[in-house]
Amino acid sequence: MAKIEVLAPLDGTVVDLESVPDEVFAQKMAGDGVAIDPSGRVAVAPVTGDLVKLFPGGHAFGISTGDGVELIVHIGLDTVELKGEGFENIATEGQVVQAGTPIVNFDRATVERRGKVMLSPVVSSGAGTIVRCASGTVRAGLDVLFVLEV
Amino acid sequence: MEYMMERTVILGSKSGLHARPAAVFVQNAKGFQSQITLSKNEKMVNAKSILSVLTLGAEQGDQVVLKVDGEDAELAIDKLASLLEGDLG
Repeated sequence: MAKIEVLAPLDGTVVDLESVPDEVFAQKMAGDGVAIDPSGRVAVAPVTGDLVKLFPGGHAFGISTGDGVELIVHIGLDTVELKGEGFENIATEGQVVQAGTPIVNFDRATVERRGKVMLSPVVSSGAGTIVRCASGTVRAGLDVLFVLEV
Repeated sequence: MEYMMERTVILGSKSGLHARPAAVFVQNAKGFQSQITLSKNEKMVNAKSILSVLTLGAEQGDQVVLKVDGEDAELAIDKLASLLEGDLG
């Protein structure tokens, strides 16, 4: 059994996934994880791996590792509808990223002005079970958000 | 008896297969024992992996192909095709 440390992709406060007002994430259909109420402006890679998906509109991305681990970071809820407004992609889909590599810049005020909730789910959709999880405040690319046992 | 089934559907979800609808689709796909793939153009992925499904980048109106192989193939293809044709959110 290997333990994989997943870093916080965002600065902010850790929130239980169950309390996210979106049943798909709250019921863990996309995977187990947590949400972050973000305080910063940049989302970084939570693990080293392939950036297999980065939505053109920047609202979500996914990284897979060689161990079958898959992580999805969704910045805000229903933010696909903003079609990129408030988001700016820094990284490129398909590239290899190191944990902590900046992926997307976002502007909370713009997203909230459009009526979207900023809570951002970070979920594990592939291999592994979450064995430990942070609480309170986390810093993007610096603090461990949760530990996966694969 | 084993079945192998294939069906082409037009994606109905208004924002395409983005994270949320992909999660709902994959959750349903995982409920079947059959091996299931979804493809768009030449790219074929495991329909039980959200991230793989997202890499298709399928948009509303795109033609996607479901392939299902296993004992519950008939049930699976009907259920999954109707999800893809409908509005997954």
